[in-house]
Amino acid sequence: MRSAAEEATMIVRQEVRQKQREDKLLVKLKLKFSESIYLPPAAAFIALFLLWEAAVRLLNVNPVTLPAPTAVVRELVGSIAFYLPHAWVTLYEALLGFFLGMAVAITAGIFMAHSRLLERMLLPIAILANVTPIMAIAPLFILWFGFDALPKVLIAAIITFFPMLINSIMGFRSIDENHLEYMNSLHASKREIFTKLRLPNSLPYLFSAARTCVSLSVMGAVVGEWSGSTEGLGNIIMMSSNYMQTERMFSAIFMLAIMGICLTNIVRFIEIKLLSWHVSSNRGI
Amino acid sequence: MTYIKIQQVSKFYKRRGQVTEALRDINLEFEQGTFVSLIGPSGCGKSTLLRIVGGLTDIDQGEVAIGGLSPLGAQKQKQFGFVPQSPALFPWRTVLQNMNVPFEVNTKGTGMKLEQREDPVELLQSVGLGDFVHSYAKELSGGMQQRVGIARAFGSGAPILLMDEPFSALDEITREMISYQLLDIWQSHQKTVLFVTHSLREAVLLSDKVVVMSARPGQVSKVIDIDLPRPRHADIEDNEQFHHYISEIRGYLREKWK
Ligand SMILES: Nc1ncnc2c1ncn2[C@@H]1O[C@H](COP(=O)(O)OP(=O)(O)OP(=O)(O)O)[C@@H](O)[C@H]1O
Ligand SMILES: [Mg+2]
Repeated sequence: MRSAAEEATMIVRQEVRQKQREDKLLVKLKLKFSESIYLPPAAAFIALFLLWEAAVRLLNVNPVTLPAPTAVVRELVGSIAFYLPHAWVTLYEALLGFFLGMAVAITAGIFMAHSRLLERMLLPIAILANVTPIMAIAPLFILWFGFDALPKVLIAAIITFFPMLINSIMGFRSIDENHLEYMNSLHASKREIFTKLRLPNSLPYLFSAARTCVSLSVMGAVVGEWSGSTEGLGNIIMMSSNYMQTERMFSAIFMLAIMGICLTNIVRFIEIKLLSWHVSSNRGI
Repeated sequence: MTYIKIQQVSKFYKRRGQVTEALRDINLEFEQGTFVSLIGPSGCGKSTLLRIVGGLTDIDQGEVAIGGLSPLGAQKQKQFGFVPQSPALFPWRTVLQNMNVPFEVNTKGTGMKLEQREDPVELLQSVGLGDFVHSYAKELSGGMQQRVGIARAFGSGAPILLMDEPFSALDEITREMISYQLLDIWQSHQKTVLFVTHSLREAVLLSDKVVVMSARPGQVSKVIDIDLPRPRHADIEDNEQFHHYISEIRGYLREKWK
């Protein structure tokens, strides 16, 4: 038989152990939280939305000025059948433009990396296209190509073109002298040097540009839609602005934000899968 | 029979109107299977000479013949295994994939034949890298990377290896260890090696011939035959003759300071 004193100490010990276990769990959770890629930003977003919701409710803000996030989500989910086709149009324009701009930029980059003369001739044109505000060109493109997808695709392509071009030239050129000399010692052809050295060397540069450009291309499509369109999320924003349909406007904005986040993360995901050898792909953002 | 023949070779670098005489009247002859070290003060043209033999730089005067071929002709046939100062491993390839590079480019070059290829994994094991076959270059230390470079050169099947100070970026201890590994791997392959170094010890330990050069303009001041028995092992450094050679070379190097 255990004495009452023994019983008591056992209970105390058990309690202490329980407490320790809980503490450990707490520490573990804390660690998990701070080390996770998704949890901290998710928490920040939730906090932001709660703040927004509270502000709208407590201050009785007019929903035409600023609707509560719950109202926006309700509108978005309730009329998703209305929004999705428009989102699809914008996504289609943006992605087509992105791939077109990327293809032209990389092709031009290959030529310009091989010839300084070509670079000196063509780069100023690319820079000119880059410094001209895209908003200024957009109406012209609508005038030329009409209200269809084409002008939006082209605008998205132009936005994508310049960062991709600069980074591809850098990537193709900035090879290690030692690597080049090693390839030369084997009498590797220009083509082999390109495929086995310049191209893999350029991948980190290309991906870092692609990550920015993919969301820029969405912007390009929206700017195109503002200038003249019959569909797309940019069209919704413009129309709802005219009719003061703020909830609808926010719904479209939400969709654009989600689209941007998804696209950037898809590029990031491919980058991590493909460039596991590269240092920066091991770090966040 | 003479395999590599360098006759009256001179080399000038012209840059921004300034002319540097890098090499003057170099005459050297090596037989096949010889391990040759080039030693001399910085800027005396050792790298230049190595690059000339490898067909990476042209010459202004003289003639170089490698088994009857010009340097460029030999390069076309992939006769060279090049080991530069930095190991020149592609970071996007694993160690094993890097070992394949010589067989993937210039496949018309006959110097390296895939069918006769030595097992790359075995080669890596022989330099102590058996566990790192599938690692990326950046996961290896500098010394390990340099060993991959050496294994790649020996495994490429090329008859001539050109090594430009492959150990210069390494610490003393690693350097000593790798020099013994190089000694072993050379013993089992017996290739013709041109090895640039700043280390007298390495030169004597590894070489059949040591070429001592002097600077400005680069000239050959002495060629010393190292008549130490082979195969050589670490205990050779206890040999009196070994140290005698070292001081002899040091003597020739100093002569030029005065
Ligand atoms: N590409 C180049 N352009 C102009 N001058 C050069 C070039 N490469 C080498 N030189 C000059 O040629 C001379 C010999 O250079 P080299 O690199 O062959 O010397 P080295 O013996 O290898 O020196 P180190 O031991 O420092 O590596 C030096 O005076 C150098 O300045
Ligand atoms: Mg040098």
